[in-house]
Amino acid sequence: MKTIAFFNNKGGVGKTSLVYHLAWMFADHGIPTLAVDLDPQANLTAMFLDEERLEELWPDDDEHPQTVYGAIRPILRGIGDIAKPHVEKINPSLGVVPGDLGLSRFEDKLSDAWPRCHNRDESAFRIMTAFHRLIESATKWGAEIALIDVGPNLGAINRSALIASDQVCLPLAPDLFSLQGLKNLGPTLRDWRAIWAELLAKAPSDLPMPKGAMQPAGYIVMQHGIRDSRPVKAYQRWMERIPSIYRTAVLNEKPASRTPQVDQDPYSLALLKHYRSLMPLAMEVRKPMFFLKPADGAIGAHVDAVKKCYQDFQNLARRIARSAGIAMSG
Amino acid sequence: MLTHDQLSVLLSDLELDHVERTSSTKDTDKFGEAICAFANDLPGHRQPGYLLIGVRDDGQRSGLKVTDELLKNLGAIRSDGNVLPQPVMNVTPFTFADGDVAVVEVLPSDLPPVRYKGRVWIRIGPRKGIANEQEERILTERRVALARSFDARPCPESTIEDLALGQFEAYRHEAIDSETIAANQRSIEQQLGSLHFFNPERNCPTHAGILLFGKNPRYFLPGTYVQYLKLPNIDLTDVPEDQAEISGDLQSVLRELELRIKALIQTSLRPAAGFREKLLPDYPEWALRELLMNAVMHRNYDSNTSIRFYVFDDHIEIMSPGGLYGEATRENFPTRNSYRNPIIAEAMKTLGFVNRFGYGVQRAQSLLKANGNPPAQFEFDEHSVLVKIYRRLE
Repeated sequence: MKTIAFFNNKGGVGKTSLVYHLAWMFADHGIPTLAVDLDPQANLTAMFLDEERLEELWPDDDEHPQTVYGAIRPILRGIGDIAKPHVEKINPSLGVVPGDLGLSRFEDKLSDAWPRCHNRDESAFRIMTAFHRLIESATKWGAEIALIDVGPNLGAINRSALIASDQVCLPLAPDLFSLQGLKNLGPTLRDWRAIWAELLAKAPSDLPMPKGAMQPAGYIVMQHGIRDSRPVKAYQRWMERIPSIYRTAVLNEKPASRTPQVDQDPYSLALLKHYRSLMPLAMEVRKPMFFLKPADGAIGAHVDAVKKCYQDFQNLARRIARSAGIAMSG
Repeated sequence: MLTHDQLSVLLSDLELDHVERTSSTKDTDKFGEAICAFANDLPGHRQPGYLLIGVRDDGQRSGLKVTDELLKNLGAIRSDGNVLPQPVMNVTPFTFADGDVAVVEVLPSDLPPVRYKGRVWIRIGPRKGIANEQEERILTERRVALARSFDARPCPESTIEDLALGQFEAYRHEAIDSETIAANQRSIEQQLGSLHFFNPERNCPTHAGILLFGKNPRYFLPGTYVQYLKLPNIDLTDVPEDQAEISGDLQSVLRELELRIKALIQTSLRPAAGFREKLLPDYPEWALRELLMNAVMHRNYDSNTSIRFYVFDDHIEIMSPGGLYGEATRENFPTRNSYRNPIIAEAMKTLGFVNRFGYGVQRAQSLLKANGNPPAQFEFDEHSVLVKIYRRLE
């Protein structure tokens, strides 16, 4: 089983929709897939499930036994270890661990646990690895790949979520904020990786520990973050800077005199366009854009756009599967 | 279906081209491809093919335990609409001392070529593969002699000129895998023929071709329209408030029906817990859709009667010409179903108007229940199926 997180500390680039579509694509190719919503905004969950189901998952009381918050609640209250997480099956090869707004309450607990790990405190390690163990348990039905959606910040929840992941994909928009974000994010990831490696030596031996690999798998340029009013030149300039900033900030390489363009860059996993009117159609019928049918309103030129969208996501899923060492047929 | 002894023979003979063995229980794609290949029956045995699950390539059993879930998953391949037109198949478990075997028996289709996810799979000796153009043509031509359903038969007065080929082009991209389209060398007649819309022998469109892409289907099949009436009261004799004859190619008819349904449903807002409000439609949209789609899919297109879609003040009536068909009877309705128009069913699945076969009526009933409507009432006679759906109770 491989765990892949999708992370950028600039929000609004379309990351959640990316995770949603990739999960469907992997499942469509027969790879049992788990989507884990660790963003306290829980938008991924809202894309998968309809309002009625969400109301059942998030009742007015405080328990929420079927969400990620419910699973870690015993830890939060200090009365035990994580509960068995509920997996909402979308189809036989696709499951979701529903997110929860209440997850944000875990932030303090997690930031408090981090330094205590240095003192070989077992309960601190239990807290730090809660997400890792939750994902392990939620993939028991046979999931080969777990995709994690996390919020756009460098807080303690995300640190814990990323430590639980084997690989990290970085969705970016070609703009100033995304690139500034990348400059922050690269060194932070390296710090976390280094500290976790130290902490692993102090961990109790009977607790399953994530390796904390957080291997950068590459970046995905999300062009739909671009507003139409902005001149093409401006974003072209940001595009040109992505490969070199990715190398220096994330991979910690020395600035090279020549780096490839984004479309030639081996670290660039995909350049995703704005699929315009497909997204609203897809949202209305609760399915990925690439599964839209004429009955859903995808007629005329939409037919080609749907095909193109399928190919784009299929190529991206292939690249991610290859870098994770997962066989993808079809 | 097989007997225990017959199965033992199949298990030991490794060279048979109508048997496929697998020890995997999860690989749905592999099962779908095998079922598709057997349904196509390229070697022309006119004998069933067998997919044996729980058997290794050398014929030894793999120690499988057949679960209810596995049988259900296998059965679902028939109705999930990835194998089109729908295959005829049976699933049976067998128990041996050293492990179970799940047997899927697939009968040769009357309407080849059959596709799995847009590709035509065939048996090549003991293996399977994707049909090339020549092989697909053999299958298409074989169908002509076998076609039994009305929609697959030629519409002899018509010519290819009567089809809107632009519409077909768009449909083809939905129905066929894009690699096959990219490698395509076929003439338009062959393209139409391979999807059951053209009869190469008689050199004319089939009824399904006319229904789906005809420029004027009613010229050839006069009953193919939907009579819509909106009545102010509960009497059919009142002066209607609105009326329309919804006709044209099937896709236009279905889209127009959708719009009509949307327009006729009235939704009120009620306060729910706290500050929230709840939307209360007088009819659940998807229930009406399912029942109308059913009428369009199962009606008898050979009849000169239209589908009637009458909206009364307190209820809606949908009547489709042609009574229950094939194995479906008054007693087993709606759990058992049979397809009068397999090609229309295939097209509606391809276009996304149907998601799963044999499930519409149950879904409609459960949506009605959830919305607070009384259950839909069905009435059957020799020549028609009538369904009545009542407005939500206050």
